[in-house]
Amino acid sequence: MTMEQDIEAMDQFPLGMRVLAVDDDQTCLRILETLLHRCQYHVTTTDKAQTALELLRENKNKFDLVISDVDMPDMDGFKLVELVGLEMDLPVIMLSAHSDPKNVMKGVKHGACDYLVKPVRIEELKNIWQHVVRKSKFKKMIKSIVTTNCVSEGNSDQNGVRANRKRKDQLEEEDEEQEEQERGNEKKPRVIWTRELHNKFLAAVDHVGVKNAVPKKILELMNVDNLTRENVGSHLQKFRLALKKINNEANQQANLDSQFTQMSSLKGLGSFHHYRPIPLGSSQFHGGAATMRHYPSNRTLAGMFSSSLPRNHNDGGYMLQGMPLPPLETLHIANNNNNNKAFPSFTSQQSSPLVSPNNHFVPEGHQGFSPHLEINKRLEDWSNAVLSNNIPQSNLHSKPDALEWNLFGNSTSPNLDTTNQTSFCRDTDFGSPNAAQADSFDPLQMKQQHENILSPMTVAQLLRSSSGNEGLFMGQQKLENGFMASDTGSLDDIVNSMMTQEQSQAEFSEGDWVWVA
Amino acid sequence: MDTLVAQLQRQFRDYTISLYHQGFLDDQFTELKKLQDECSPDFVAEVVSLFFEDCEKLIGNMARALDQTGNVDFNLVGSSVHQLKGSSSSVGAKRVKGLCITFKECCDSQNFEGCVRCLQQVDIEYKSLKAKLQDLFNLEQQIVQAGGRIPQVDI
Repeated sequence: MTMEQDIEAMDQFPLGMRVLAVDDDQTCLRILETLLHRCQYHVTTTDKAQTALELLRENKNKFDLVISDVDMPDMDGFKLVELVGLEMDLPVIMLSAHSDPKNVMKGVKHGACDYLVKPVRIEELKNIWQHVVRKSKFKKMIKSIVTTNCVSEGNSDQNGVRANRKRKDQLEEEDEEQEEQERGNEKKPRVIWTRELHNKFLAAVDHVGVKNAVPKKILELMNVDNLTRENVGSHLQKFRLALKKINNEANQQANLDSQFTQMSSLKGLGSFHHYRPIPLGSSQFHGGAATMRHYPSNRTLAGMFSSSLPRNHNDGGYMLQGMPLPPLETLHIANNNNNNKAFPSFTSQQSSPLVSPNNHFVPEGHQGFSPHLEINKRLEDWSNAVLSNNIPQSNLHSKPDALEWNLFGNSTSPNLDTTNQTSFCRDTDFGSPNAAQADSFDPLQMKQQHENILSPMTVAQLLRSSSGNEGLFMGQQKLENGFMASDTGSLDDIVNSMMTQEQSQAEFSEGDWVWVA
Repeated sequence: MDTLVAQLQRQFRDYTISLYHQGFLDDQFTELKKLQDECSPDFVAEVVSLFFEDCEKLIGNMARALDQTGNVDFNLVGSSVHQLKGSSSSVGAKRVKGLCITFKECCDSQNFEGCVRCLQQVDIEYKSLKAKLQDLFNLEQQIVQAGGRIPQVDI
C-alpha cells in the first residue's frame, strides 16, 4: 500500500472499528456501550474477563481493540491487559474509577495503551482508534520514512553514508522478516533482554564493530538458544537509534555535566512524558503524517502517554527523552567514544570531539578510552539498578476475596428496604397521580410516598435515626489532569518499566522509536 | 392562562434545575441525556435503573460484610464502595459519589463506625435520588401524554 492509500484507509477506519468492552459494572458497561455506538464503532460487551478472553482466543481477528475495567471480581484487569497484549497483541485500554497515578503506572507496565478514568466522556472515546492504527498499519510506513530520512541525512560524510546504508539494509531486512512472519502468522516468542543477554549482545556488537553489526552475525556470536534474528534485529535497531539520539544531543552540548541528572528529574511531568515513546496518547497522530508533536495532556490520563518522542535536536536538555538514568559514562560500543551509550541512558560528560556533525554514530576507531572492564562494570551498575527493581508488581489489585461476591448471590438481605422492585422506567407508576387526573404535579402527594423509603431499614445494627445529609456531601473530587507527580518515581522504576515494556512488547516497540522530526 | 402542557413543562424545568442545584445530579447526567435520542428513547431511564439495581446489590454486600462482627472484611467493603463510586460517577449521581469518597476513607482506615454511618447515608441517598428521578420521569410522561414535548433544560 502506498502512503496515500494508507492515509485513505485510515480516514475510513475508525468507523466500524470492532471494540470489545469488558466491565463487571452493568451501569458503566451500558453507558460505555452506548458511547461507543455513538462513535460508530462496532461493540461487543461482556461483564466477565474470562468470557472476554475466550472471545478473543476464539478469534483474535474479530476485534481491533479492547477496553477493560481494572477492578473486576473474576480476574484482575491488569492481568487481562497483559494476557491480551501477549497472546493477541491487541491494543488494550484500561478503565477505572481510580485516578491514582500509581495505578496508571501499573497499567503502563502491564502494557495498556491508554488509561481512562471514569466517568468516561465521549470525546475520549472518539480518539481511541489511534491505538489500533499505531499498533499495526503504520509500522511499515514509518520505517520507510525513517529509511528515507537516514539516507538523506548522511550525504556529506562517507562514513555516515555507510552507516546509513547498513541501517537501511537492516531495516529492510527486518521488514522482510516481519512480513514473512505476518504471512506465516507465527507467534513471536517474547524475549527478555536481561543483563546477561544484553551484555552478550554488546560483546557481539563490539566484536564485529557497530558498523558491521547485523542481526545474523550478532546472533551467531551471542549463541543463545531461542533467540531469533528478529529479536536481535529489533534490539539492535533500538540500540542504534539510541546512539543516534545521543550523538545528536552531543552535538548540541559540548559540556554536559552531571547536573543533567538533576535537570531531568526536575522536569517531572515533562520527563515522564517523554520517557516512554511507545504508547502515544490521543490526538497525537493525525492524518497519516508521521510527524510528532507534543500535545498537552488531555483530560484523561492519556495525557501521560502522549509523549512527544524524540523531539528534534533543538530541544536542548533532553537526552533520550529525559530518561533520567544514573550517569553511565560509557557503554562500550566498539570504536565509539565516550558519548555513546546503550539505550535509555544519558550522557554525563559529553565532550567528545569524535561525534560527527552529521549526527550519526560514526565509528572512528578505538580512541583508547575505557577498556572493556571498566565499561562492563558500569553497565553492570546500570543493569543492577534496573534489574533490582524488576519485581513484577503482580496483583496489587487482586481481590482475594473476590469469590466471596459470588457467595452473596443475587438475593438481597431480607432486612433491606425492598419497596420498589420494579424496573425503573417511565411507565412505572410510582403511585403518583396518573395522567387521567391531569392535574398539576402534586408535590405533597409525592412526599407522602417517599417518607417510607427514607427511613433506613437496613441491617439491624445499622438502624439509627436518620441524620439527614448535612455535612456529608463532599464536593466532587476533581480529576487531576494528566500525570501530576513532580517526582516521577524512582529512576529505577522508570527504567524497569522500560525493560518490562520491552519484554512484553518486543514487537510492538519495533518501529515506535522511529520518528521524523 | 397556562395550558396544562405549559404548566407541566415549567414544573419539569424547575424540578430539573433544582436537582442540579441541590447537588443530586451533575454534568455526567447531562451527558447521558445527550446520548438519548430517537433510537434509544429510554436510555437514561434504563441506565439509572441499572444503577439503582447496582446500588441495592452493592449495599447488600457491604451490609453483609459489616455485619460480620469482629471479622469485618474492609477490603470487601472497600471494593464495593469503589464500584459504587464508579457507577455513581458514570450516571451523574453526585451526592452518592461524594458519599463514596468518604466511605472509602473509612474503609481504608478500618473505621467500623464510620463505615456503618456511611453505609446508612448511602442507602438514604440513593433511595432519595431514585424517588426524585422517578418523579422527573413521571413528569416527562405526563407531558408527553398531554401532547407536549419534553423541554430541553440547560443548566
